[in-house]
Amino acid sequence: MKANHLVWIRRVSQTFFLILFIFLLVESRLPQDIYLDYSIALDAKQNIELDYPVKYFFQLDPLIWITSLISGHQWIKGFGWALGIVVLTFFFGRIFCSFICPLGTIHHMASYIRPALKKQRMVSANQKHSSQRFKYFLLILFLMSALLGLNLTGLLDPISFFFRSLALAVFPGVGTGIKELLDLAAQSNIKILNYISYTGEVLISPVFGYGYKAFKSAWFIGILFLFILFLNRIRPRFWCRTLCPLGALLGIFARFSILRLEKDPEKCTNCNLCLLSCQGAASPMPGQEWDATECMLCFNCFNSCPENAIAFKLAWPPRVNKKPDMGRRAVLGGLLAGLSFPLLGRLDGRLHHVSDARLIRPPGSLPEKDFLKLCQRCGLCMKVCPTNAINPTLTEAGIAGFWTPNLIMTQGYCEYTCTLCSGVCPTGAIRKLSGKEKIESPIRIGSAYIDRGRCLPWSGNGPCIVCEEHCPTSPKAIRFIQGTSLSLTGKKMNVKLPYVDLKSCVGCGICEFKCPVKGNPAIRVIAAGESRSVANQILLTL
Amino acid sequence: MNYHPITRRESIKKLFKICGGLALADALTWPFQKTISAWAGSTHKKFIVEGIGRNHEYSVKALVGKVFEAAGGIHTFVSKQDVVVIKPNISWARSPDLAATTHPEVLEAVVELCQEAGAKKIRIADHTIHDARRCFAITGAGMVAKKTGADLVYPRSSLMRNMKLQGHRLDVWPVFLPLVEADKVINLPVAKVHSLSGLTLGMKNWIGAVGGRRSALHQDIHLTIVDLAQFFNPTITLIDATRIMVSNGPSGGSRSDVAVSNRLILSDDPVAADAKASGLFNFRPKDIGFIRLGEKWGLGTTEFQKLRQHKVII
Repeated sequence: MKANHLVWIRRVSQTFFLILFIFLLVESRLPQDIYLDYSIALDAKQNIELDYPVKYFFQLDPLIWITSLISGHQWIKGFGWALGIVVLTFFFGRIFCSFICPLGTIHHMASYIRPALKKQRMVSANQKHSSQRFKYFLLILFLMSALLGLNLTGLLDPISFFFRSLALAVFPGVGTGIKELLDLAAQSNIKILNYISYTGEVLISPVFGYGYKAFKSAWFIGILFLFILFLNRIRPRFWCRTLCPLGALLGIFARFSILRLEKDPEKCTNCNLCLLSCQGAASPMPGQEWDATECMLCFNCFNSCPENAIAFKLAWPPRVNKKPDMGRRAVLGGLLAGLSFPLLGRLDGRLHHVSDARLIRPPGSLPEKDFLKLCQRCGLCMKVCPTNAINPTLTEAGIAGFWTPNLIMTQGYCEYTCTLCSGVCPTGAIRKLSGKEKIESPIRIGSAYIDRGRCLPWSGNGPCIVCEEHCPTSPKAIRFIQGTSLSLTGKKMNVKLPYVDLKSCVGCGICEFKCPVKGNPAIRVIAAGESRSVANQILLTL
Repeated sequence: MNYHPITRRESIKKLFKICGGLALADALTWPFQKTISAWAGSTHKKFIVEGIGRNHEYSVKALVGKVFEAAGGIHTFVSKQDVVVIKPNISWARSPDLAATTHPEVLEAVVELCQEAGAKKIRIADHTIHDARRCFAITGAGMVAKKTGADLVYPRSSLMRNMKLQGHRLDVWPVFLPLVEADKVINLPVAKVHSLSGLTLGMKNWIGAVGGRRSALHQDIHLTIVDLAQFFNPTITLIDATRIMVSNGPSGGSRSDVAVSNRLILSDDPVAADAKASGLFNFRPKDIGFIRLGEKWGLGTTEFQKLRQHKVII
């Protein structure tokens, strides 16, 4: 096949997968078709499910699959795709990196459309660099750490990284900007501007989310994303060459690739055009040994060679390619770091002693220890949550659980019948629940308690039953006892005093969300009582 | 288009014509004014209709139709080219059988009646408590909108506009705009118990028509309900009591909280409608704070004999 054709096939494939990725990301939301079948609306037992397989890209990712397999010791349904990618890599090298990976495509675009470096500087930037070993360090770190029960992969796995950056920072950021503009138009007294505003919101909300989406530490996620994009100005596809642990993993599998770059040094005129366009710094020049483990098979060198001195060919029988250049330091350093992180991560005592009271995991989450083995911190559950309650943690889960999901009840609450987050988790850190199971078990994510000093009836500031009113369980977990409290004038007043019945409370947090005492509500949800933990129970029996 | 700006002379002429016309009309009717108001007194006598479905397999749609017929037909309330806004109670993402929300069949029947009456636009608007999209889906309101072609208004924050309510308790409060930008407003609540106000009926439904710090309204619930009811003042109120929530209100969540009542209550007197519905829960109307206050502030009456009373049974 002609080189030019290969390059175009690659571009089409990249575009397709990037669009598919963004489409599935946008579709990770409460289904827009509110006009459900009448019978579904009438049937309480019917779950609202997503229309598209939004976790598809995660299931394509061999790194997520392998680390989950090592740490969780289980075959997770749906990861046959990842196995397929591994097989593909065995025969055709890191074809995933330049044909499928959406983050790779973004980097490719950033480095290729307007390259920061010109001519000779680009040629020298595309020479193989020892820093490319760093990705092996990260890979070994993640594998080792997974072996010891802490799955950190998602922090730098390209699919998780890209999804998190787009879902928690880029889309909410752009959405907020547009929405503020539309709100400005809505406040205008010019009728036509109001209509434009309303139509605009109807159009953009399904894409960017309803209302103002907010995620704690999203600014940091966004800055990190901008930073890795910026790195493309130092070297093309800096991330893919130097940081990507998935690239490192696929590189190792590429050792036996039968799709090889065949070189003919006789024809080479040392024009360096191949190096000028090399995305992976994989030594395409005749005279150097081709790095199968670094090559992302973008076919640029093949396409650019004027002398036909290099060509990609299928070699049969398979020959062993150049082995990955890891370097002993990367291996030992990775092992050591991988050994240290899980152990250091436990020193805060959150796993063995007492967890943070505010660490409220989504319903269906596994016990903390198993959770940390599987959670990719990808942000899918956070994206899909219709009330925006699920946020990435900063410190609530300790440093080991950085960016894992956590419900913040002042920002949203857990809808009583909603199980969207449990359905989208790619690794099953949040187990799949049905609405029926969630309600009837019941799945508790915590329990509420009343701060009598703040509560309006308890503190003598007047009647209020907002928490009781919103309590979704039946019988209600918040009940009141008719009683008296001392009003501020010193007179006794008759009020309904709210009490929480721990036996019925599921910790959904709507009471905290709706409490008129804003900021630090008078009724708050803590993790104690959550179903997933035996140690974290309050009552002797439920 | 031969459009040209109006000249000063023309505008003055027009002004005189209008003023003159008005003065003439007024002068002509002057001798009859007393009698006219006497007639008005009789024709504008308010009504209350109670519809009961006795037959085991009665159709809700037919009952809604009959109830409106007894009240004089939908044409009495909705004119051609009207923008009609229906305010159901679809606050909770609960399926219709749990009685936390207005039944979709009632909603559908009312929308269809408005369409028959030739309404230009029919909007269904509620500022829900749970996520609006889930509410629309689960309560069945979304399906009704799709089936009938009515607009379902998403309660976005920029549709809440500060307005002067001039109530006894509430002064300026954000109001859900579609409900004030309407020719006719139909209040379509569901009847259920409420832990603080006693019952959730027609007047209380207006809490779902405002934005802002709604949860603070509970600190003086009865008076704020009356303030809102006075402000929104619907054309008619149709209380859906086909099934009622008798315990664990207002959100319920279990079939055991629901009782079958097979009733609809239609009135142009918001206080009377609520008073009638309170009887279903074995309350005396005056036991409910907002009904008592509503009558006190002149929103309506709890004395049914002052109204045209009808009963429809199918």
